[in-house]
Amino acid sequence: MVRSGSFHVDSSSASHRRTPSRTVTLGHIQPQAPSYRTVYCNDRESNQPVRFKGNSISTTKYNVFTFLPKGLFEQFRRIANIYFLGISCLSMTPISPVSPITNVAPLSMVLLVSLIKEAFEDWKRFQNDMSINNSTVEILQDQQWISIPWRKLQVGDIVKIKKDGFFPADILFLSSTNADGICYVETANLDGETNLKIRKALERTWDYLVPEKAYEFKGEIQCEQPNNSLYTFTGNLVAQKQTLPLSPDQLLLRGCSLRNTEYIVGAVVFTGHETKVMMNAMNAPSKRSTLEKKLDKLIITIFCVLVTMCLIGAIGCSIVTDREDKYLGLHKSDWEYRNGLMIGFFTFFTLVTLFSSIIPISLYVSIEMIKFIQSTQFINRDLNMYHAETNTPASARTSNLNEELGQVEYIFSDKTGTLTRNLMEFFKCSIGGISYGCGVTEIERGIAQRHGLKVQEEQRSTGAIREKGFNFDDPRLMRGAWRNEPNPDLCKELFRCLAICHTVLPEGDESPEKIVYQAASPDEAALVTAAKNFGFFFYRRTPTMVHVRESHVEKMGKIQDVAYEILNVLEFNSTRKRQSVVCRFPDGRLVLYCKGADNVIFERLGNGTDDIRKVTREHLEQFGSSGLRTLCLAYKDLNPETYDSWNEKFIQAKSALRDREKKLDEVAELIEKDLTLIGSTAIEDKLQEGVPTCIETLSRAGIKIWVLTGDKMETAINIAYACNLINNEMKQFVISSETDAIREAEERGDQVEIARVIKEEVKKELKKSLEEAQHSLNTVAGPKLSLVIDGKCLMYALDPSLRVMLLSLSLNCTSVVCCRVSPLQKAQVTSLVRKGAQKITLSIGDGANDVSMIQAAHVGIGISGMEGMQAVMASDFAIAQFRFLTDLLLVHGRWSYLRICKVVMYFFYKNLTFTLTQFWFTFRTGFSGQRFYDDWFQSLFNVVFTALPVIVLGLFEKDVSASLSKRYPELRASMRSRPKVPKK
Amino acid sequence: MSSNTPSSSAAAAAGSADPSAARRNSKRPKYSKFTQQELPACKPILTPGWVISTFLIISVIFIPLGVISLFASQDVVEIVDRYDTECIPPSDRANKVAYIQGAANKSCNRTLTVPKEMKQPIYVYYQLENFYQNHRRYVKSRSDSQLRSVKDENQIDACKPEDDFGGQPIVPCGLIAWSLFNDTYTLSRKNQPLAVNKKGIAWKSDKEHKFGKNVFPKNFQKGNITGGARLNPKIPLSEQEDLIVWMRTAALPTFRKLYGKIESDLHKGDTIEVNLQNNYNTYSFSGKKKLVLSTTSWLGGKNDFLGIAYLTVGGICFVLALAFTVMYLVKPRRLGDPTYLSWNRIPGGR
Repeated sequence: MVRSGSFHVDSSSASHRRTPSRTVTLGHIQPQAPSYRTVYCNDRESNQPVRFKGNSISTTKYNVFTFLPKGLFEQFRRIANIYFLGISCLSMTPISPVSPITNVAPLSMVLLVSLIKEAFEDWKRFQNDMSINNSTVEILQDQQWISIPWRKLQVGDIVKIKKDGFFPADILFLSSTNADGICYVETANLDGETNLKIRKALERTWDYLVPEKAYEFKGEIQCEQPNNSLYTFTGNLVAQKQTLPLSPDQLLLRGCSLRNTEYIVGAVVFTGHETKVMMNAMNAPSKRSTLEKKLDKLIITIFCVLVTMCLIGAIGCSIVTDREDKYLGLHKSDWEYRNGLMIGFFTFFTLVTLFSSIIPISLYVSIEMIKFIQSTQFINRDLNMYHAETNTPASARTSNLNEELGQVEYIFSDKTGTLTRNLMEFFKCSIGGISYGCGVTEIERGIAQRHGLKVQEEQRSTGAIREKGFNFDDPRLMRGAWRNEPNPDLCKELFRCLAICHTVLPEGDESPEKIVYQAASPDEAALVTAAKNFGFFFYRRTPTMVHVRESHVEKMGKIQDVAYEILNVLEFNSTRKRQSVVCRFPDGRLVLYCKGADNVIFERLGNGTDDIRKVTREHLEQFGSSGLRTLCLAYKDLNPETYDSWNEKFIQAKSALRDREKKLDEVAELIEKDLTLIGSTAIEDKLQEGVPTCIETLSRAGIKIWVLTGDKMETAINIAYACNLINNEMKQFVISSETDAIREAEERGDQVEIARVIKEEVKKELKKSLEEAQHSLNTVAGPKLSLVIDGKCLMYALDPSLRVMLLSLSLNCTSVVCCRVSPLQKAQVTSLVRKGAQKITLSIGDGANDVSMIQAAHVGIGISGMEGMQAVMASDFAIAQFRFLTDLLLVHGRWSYLRICKVVMYFFYKNLTFTLTQFWFTFRTGFSGQRFYDDWFQSLFNVVFTALPVIVLGLFEKDVSASLSKRYPELRASMRSRPKVPKK
Repeated sequence: MSSNTPSSSAAAAAGSADPSAARRNSKRPKYSKFTQQELPACKPILTPGWVISTFLIISVIFIPLGVISLFASQDVVEIVDRYDTECIPPSDRANKVAYIQGAANKSCNRTLTVPKEMKQPIYVYYQLENFYQNHRRYVKSRSDSQLRSVKDENQIDACKPEDDFGGQPIVPCGLIAWSLFNDTYTLSRKNQPLAVNKKGIAWKSDKEHKFGKNVFPKNFQKGNITGGARLNPKIPLSEQEDLIVWMRTAALPTFRKLYGKIESDLHKGDTIEVNLQNNYNTYSFSGKKKLVLSTTSWLGGKNDFLGIAYLTVGGICFVLALAFTVMYLVKPRRLGDPTYLSWNRIPGGR
């Protein structure tokens, strides 16, 4: 939890003295220009004059001295506290009917409780900081590695980080135990991506690995000033009179951790709060619940009531007091009793002091306390929301929004990782026109269920292998049985293609059981895992070779290790939609393996295999309709002459300085043709457990669910079907940019024209859909509606001129699917509904791309238990599974809303009765403002005597049991329609 | 549903490969009825049976209570005589304030007739109306510490405007003491004086703790305007029971204060002659003055309110019970009928 605190408990306390960039003192010219910093490596004395910030971080809000003033200031930003401060001041004056204690005591009690809470939270932050600051790192001192705490680390120090260790600061990468000066870095803390990234040291510094050698390293780093851009870094390393350019490739950022590398050595560049990750840290915007805002209005109303009451009293007093004299001793006339106006004026303030208790002083504190207990004791500890597999309980990261959960009307959900597991499993494949794999996907099962067909239990053949990434079951291919299939050669090629054509890194023991594949995407890992299970075990990668342990190739049962030389890798990118590898077999055979999207591969096939092509296409369609992700595989034998001539072009393109990407693509086109189709693979993106039931329950509770995903339309619709969002009884409106008119415009290529055409199309579609929607709403039993729209159209539909139409259409739909949307669009859609429809929205997602959406909604929910933490960090609640939304919304949210509403009512009720007795009594005391209650009674009434009943109500009130409210989600809908807090 | 015992939760947590490590690192929340919100609770379902019987029980308890209270109140015999106007000679009634402030003889005779047998002790009260003894300015104008002990004689800050006389503190100071009631009553029956015991009319705690035994009145009523009674400077405050009674200020503008006790029975038809000194000025704020003779019952003085309140609540409950019974008999409805649920009421509602 990184928060940019505004105060630093900085051991070096250098913050205010650091390089005042523009000051020039007499006779001494500022040694450093403001635009860059110079770091002398391995030389603390030279860095001394610059006074870089220390490496200790502080995320606390206060320190010992600022706590009281700053904490009190924070407290008095609450209008109610200011009000009571004013009343307390009034009660010190002689016009007060009550002793000051009546108002000072409760106010100080309220402040005390709030301050203690603040102090406690800050203390926890402080301890957290301390544990980070005190973790140790090895630095170079006098030719040996010495452990020091992180906080003592200084800019310029040479540090050694061991495998799996975290980088304590932003470090310039000098050398690594790996060959070629590379190391692997996990950046999950930064961006949530779990694949490993490669960092490469400058060749010149590769040797500074052992202390004796590193000790000799003296260099000067000139680099940019600290900034918050994670992906840029420019600078120069001046060593041995040579200037070497530095790039982000050499920078190891704080917050990342070292993987697959024994240890690395580096020089510290940025420390503490100047590291990129700390500069990036931002405060999540604090959200206030709508009920709390309503409460403010209510308090203002009550305040008006108070003023009215006091006015009545003041007028009464000025009328009545004229008549009375003698026993009040007014003959010795006090100046405040001189005339009616004066009497009224002073009585008004007397009465304000007297009636001050009409505004419940402890309301906010009590509600905060209730919500705090609700979230820490009930939500965080709910066993129904504990996910055993990932060992993750639910966690309420803020206690402000508990009751907001009970009012949510719109849910915006990410797809990958939220609705689906992002756990790709090799499920089916088609080789040479024969489909293998007999599993039934969840989606197929769901469809069958909806059609009323009986779903047979999955029968797995004995000994079927099931592991992460592999859920394939067909005895025809396993354990070398493929040798007896009609196309054993194609099978062999498919397996080899899976084992060779990828960019996966193996990690851990070189045995099939223990190896872990590190891949850029889970799809790739699944494919390599599949190859392993088919008997082609990829176990080692060197820069030029891929080692595969092949079984059953020459004859059944024979296992041999084969090393394939990787000659070229034609990498995957979104325009190519394919990936190829040229490799040389040990026997000299040259083969290009290619895998990619079906349409791309089919375009590049050679002649001859028409029937296989046709059958494979059918299989692809089948796979697609059962919700599987498909890839086509192909290969091509190369003869050495053609390869050599092509390779020359390739090397040329690779070393091109301009348009390298484009040239590489062009060269790739030259060789990726006349391919031979092997077949296709199908990978299941599994739904999270219980998603369809959860969605059904939620929609019965009157909540509308929108899916916002970056996936393509077909996949998104598939998933929407699978999780009950869309079904065949629904009327679907599809607004897609893949129409002929738009495609034509795109081919012409004029950007302005494209924009105009798309906008027109979108407008037309929206209008048409809206008319139909309204028509079907007017008919009594019209079908439910659903809308599918893609990102490109959405961009235009979000245009102010079309926004209203989009909103009214989508509000009429029970479910909406937006595909191919960017993170920004996700947030835009969310705020469209939030602001446009004035409804309570909830966003749920798991990745860094959902952060904006999570922050834009009233309530943001992160999926925890995965490795990326970005979404969770930005969220208000973190749960491990989508299905826990049922409990969170229907049980906790509903109860919390109910309870808080009752608590508010209770509060106003008790304070009104308490104060109105005073008011009525005023009529019997000649409007003099004499108090009715004892001072202590009045001061303790709110904060002590009636504090507990309210809190107990706020914790234990139940209208129906948890199981009932889950079984009848409609209860929630009925509660929402009936406002609990009266609008005055 | 979740497992309900700690032992089974531990077993579930140990489901993974390394049981001991799993248990140690498990973040599984501990089971407790509190955190799982499973504490036993009950919510009364308001079935007709429950509602009707509750109302009936209330009415059965309240109506007799009301009747008893009313009877108790009826038993109290009370004689009230308003004398503020009557005790001013008709010639002076045009300007009552001038009369009461004048030096004329304020003596006045009233005759009371006992309507019923009155058992001793019979309490003699004076009742003032429209006198705001609860006025903020009035209430705070006293010094409790000064009343308690001699050494706090000078604590007269709160007593303004009756705090000192010529620089010397007034004891007892303040508006309350200054405006001490000073009408006196002399009662006689058949020309025989009827003794009114003026001892023991103040609270024991007041006499013992709040008014000092060695605090004597000083500089009292020496100002230009005399507010009320004078005090004998020879008698300590703790013995000045009229003052003690007066200083316990009334909560409402109409109040009675105990004047004394008659410790003999009065018989029906007795006439009581009251010779009173009409000194106290309530005329300037048109306050009323009344003399009250009253017996008490176990419920206190004469007050019908309690009985009426009980009777009203009991009566309403009885009527409600009756109404619900009739409704239940005429148009019964099945308990837990799902067709009444909001989402079942609108057919095909979205």
